[in-house]
Amino acid sequence: MSTPASTPHPHAPLPFVEEILLLALDDSTGALRPMPVMGLDYALAGALLADLALANRIDTDPEKLVVIDRAPTGDPLLDRALGTIASSPAPQSVAHWLGVFASERATLERAALERLVARGILAEQEKKFLWVFGVRRYPTVDNQERVEVRTRLSALILGDDLPDPRDAILISLLTASHLLSRIFDEPRYHARGERIATLARMDLVGREVAAAIDTLARVLRSATPVMGM
Amino acid sequence: MEITETQHPSAIVLALTGRLDGLSSPALEQRVDAVLASGAKALVLDLSGLDYVSSAGLRVFLTAAKKFKTAGGRASFAALPAPVREVFELSGFLDVLDIRTDVASAL
Repeated sequence: MSTPASTPHPHAPLPFVEEILLLALDDSTGALRPMPVMGLDYALAGALLADLALANRIDTDPEKLVVIDRAPTGDPLLDRALGTIASSPAPQSVAHWLGVFASERATLERAALERLVARGILAEQEKKFLWVFGVRRYPTVDNQERVEVRTRLSALILGDDLPDPRDAILISLLTASHLLSRIFDEPRYHARGERIATLARMDLVGREVAAAIDTLARVLRSATPVMGM
Repeated sequence: MEITETQHPSAIVLALTGRLDGLSSPALEQRVDAVLASGAKALVLDLSGLDYVSSAGLRVFLTAAKKFKTAGGRASFAALPAPVREVFELSGFLDVLDIRTDVASAL
C-alpha cells in the first residue's frame, strides 16, 4: 500500500535537538553554518523544550513553563532536562529555561552529533588545519532526512497549506536562529517573507528563542564602540 | 475542561468549557478524531466558555484544522473570548485558521 500524499512524516521524525543540529551543518563541508551569536545555543535549548513538549512532559504559555508529567521519556537528554525543570521550586518562564539550557550547548551539541553519527546520517572526520590544529567535521553520509525535511518545509513555505505542529516548531526555531534564510536562499523564498513570518509565529518556544537571540544582538550592537570617531 | 457535542445539519459543534492545557488536550484530540472518523466534513469549536488555552491546546487546534482540511472538510473556531483571542493573535492563528464571531456564522 502506498503512503498517502497527505502523510507528513513517513517515518519517525528525528528529535528536534538532532534535526536542528543536522540542518545547522552545511551539507558539503560538514561545518556549522554561520549563525548569530548564541544562535545555536538558543536553538538547541528551544529544540530540547520542544522535544519535551511533544513528549507531553511540559506545557507553556506566555507567562510560564510547567511540568505536566514527570515520568521519564527514556531519552537521557530529555530526562535530565525534565529533572532540572521539575526540581525548580516554582514555575519559571520559557525565557528562563532557554537561558538555562543554552548554557549547556556543548553537551547538547555533542550528544546530537553522536546520535546522528550512530544513526548513520553523519560521519565524524578529523582534519588537520595547517598540519597542526585538529578541526572536526561531520560530513553527511545519508542525506535522506535533510532532503525530506527541506522538501516538506519548502512546500509549506511556497504553498498555503496549514503546517502540522511539528513543522510549525521547526520553521519557528530555524527562523529564530537565522538558519531558514540560509537553507532556503533562492529568490522564490525571499518573496515569501510574510508567509515565513506567519509560520514562525505559530510556536511559543520558537518566538522566545527569536526574542533571546535578537535581544542579545541588540545588546552587542549597543556595546560595540563606534570606530573612527 | 468539559466538552459538549451538538449535531447540526451542516456541522458538529464541540463546545469547550474551562481550561485547555496539556492535561485536558488529549481528550479534545480524541473527540476531534472521533468526529472526523464519523465522516463529518465540518467541525465547529465553540470557544465561548474557554478560560485558558496553552501551547498544547493550540497544537490540538492546529492539528484539528489541518486534519479536516486534508480530509476535504473544515474546522472553524467560533466565539473567542478575549484572552483566547489574544493567544490566537500572538501565534498568528487569526491569519491561518477559520475564525467566526459566533457559532451561528460558522454553521
